[in-house]
Amino acid sequence: MSASVWRRNARVALAAFEVTLRMNAPDPFVLFTILVQPLIVAVMAMWMLVERGAANALFVVIGSGMTGLWSALLFMGGNSINWERWTGTLELMVGQPTPVSVIIFGKNLAIVTQSLLSMVVSYIFAALIFRQSLAIQQPLLFAISLVFTVIAYVTFGLVIAPVFLLSRTVQQFQNAMEFPIYMLCGFLFPIALLPGWTTPLSYILGPYWAARALHGTTTGSATFAEVALCWGMMVLLALAYLVLSQWLTRIVLHKARADASLRLE
Amino acid sequence: MRALAINIRLFLQGALLSYVALFGWLRPVTYLASKVFMPLAQILFWTLLGTFATGRENASFFIIGNAIQLAAVNGIYGVTMSVGGDRWAGTLPYLFGTPANRLAMFSGRAFMHVIDGMFGVVLGLLWGVLLLGLDLSQANLAGLAFAILITTFSTSGLGLLLGCVGLVSIETMFINNAAYFGLMIFSGANIPVSSLPGWMQVISWALPLTRGIAASRALIDGASLISVMPLLAGEVVLGGVYIMLGYSLFRRVERQAKRSGKLEGF
Repeated sequence: MSASVWRRNARVALAAFEVTLRMNAPDPFVLFTILVQPLIVAVMAMWMLVERGAANALFVVIGSGMTGLWSALLFMGGNSINWERWTGTLELMVGQPTPVSVIIFGKNLAIVTQSLLSMVVSYIFAALIFRQSLAIQQPLLFAISLVFTVIAYVTFGLVIAPVFLLSRTVQQFQNAMEFPIYMLCGFLFPIALLPGWTTPLSYILGPYWAARALHGTTTGSATFAEVALCWGMMVLLALAYLVLSQWLTRIVLHKARADASLRLE
Repeated sequence: MRALAINIRLFLQGALLSYVALFGWLRPVTYLASKVFMPLAQILFWTLLGTFATGRENASFFIIGNAIQLAAVNGIYGVTMSVGGDRWAGTLPYLFGTPANRLAMFSGRAFMHVIDGMFGVVLGLLWGVLLLGLDLSQANLAGLAFAILITTFSTSGLGLLLGCVGLVSIETMFINNAAYFGLMIFSGANIPVSSLPGWMQVISWALPLTRGIAASRALIDGASLISVMPLLAGEVVLGGVYIMLGYSLFRRVERQAKRSGKLEGF
């Protein structure tokens, strides 16, 4: 890919990023998903975990924030192609020369960036209401982990969107997919509580490694080698998600064109 | 006598048709996802979180709490969609134009959701028995069935009120989600009501589910129905209050809509 194509794609992704941010900002559903719901989860987890000494407040802040990230990605990122279909802009998006996945990337980046607010809100809430000490133990490693987390989530979202478009049946299970990922990724409790056969499933999920890295760096319980392993896994999985999403998007668009069902539900 | 027969028929027809209409878009696979798998995932998550915090011996507290809380899936989402759906479907003018008894028509919207909600709660408890080892050997099953009926009734009362809010607001889903998750905090499903601050306990006891969950826990522990009657009576009264509040709002919306000519104004 030449430099000019990279520049053009980056410009389009940035435009998609900006438009998505602007469109999401006043949307009550978005606000509920990234602000209210994680806050409610944080309140309950604070009471259940911190008050009983099962975990510290930062663990809950990070965990509940990550539930917000996942819910936002699931509902908004998952529908990012469908949304274009509902608003009648899918044909225009498919017809223009930039690959559709570049636009979806920009949209997912906006959703994930915006969803980081859920962590900020949980942090402020825990500090003000529960008056908990919230010092991040390894701030530099935490900041780097956060960047990798964004990459892991955005690329994971690239896989979800075409899958939902490809199968309406799978999309029906969208609501039911929220809690399983909270569990499989160990956002608020260790995956050791789950049956052993689910562990490989956790390992192929980028958000699991993100949760491990963020929990480890905030509490200071992880060594550098452990954090580096998480970063490596996030990069590896991100690459795998990119390849998979390219393939899935190609199938979806081919099918939609061949069936002339681009606009149809 | 004839008027009574007409009102009963209206109630039953309204109940059935609003439920069938809901399935105009709610396919069997959607039902499976939202009424079978989502509740399972919810029970598993909160039970595992709860046992992580307090130990495996307390698992039943979270299983029962979350299973009964599932009454809100129908009570909140189902009922509000049945009531508010008329606005979105464009049938509100017809509804307000009929001479039919409003209370029969209005309360009929919740009837099938009470039945379906009970099924959802039973399924939740069944998941608890099959996957999480919930022990029902001491349970007063007849009493429990009665408690589930009362709880789904009272939760549907809140749903009727919220459904009317949906007739005047376009943020129905925001309101529904906030109510559903709010009930999770206040109902005692996951946090004992007694451990909440005083002002939160006041809210807890003013909401449906709280008494129903407490009664169900006692009944599963083997308590007699008589001993939980005060809780269940409170739940019935609360459900009735919410239905009447919803009905008053429904009539008010109707009057306002007719007066202002904004029957379907968004």
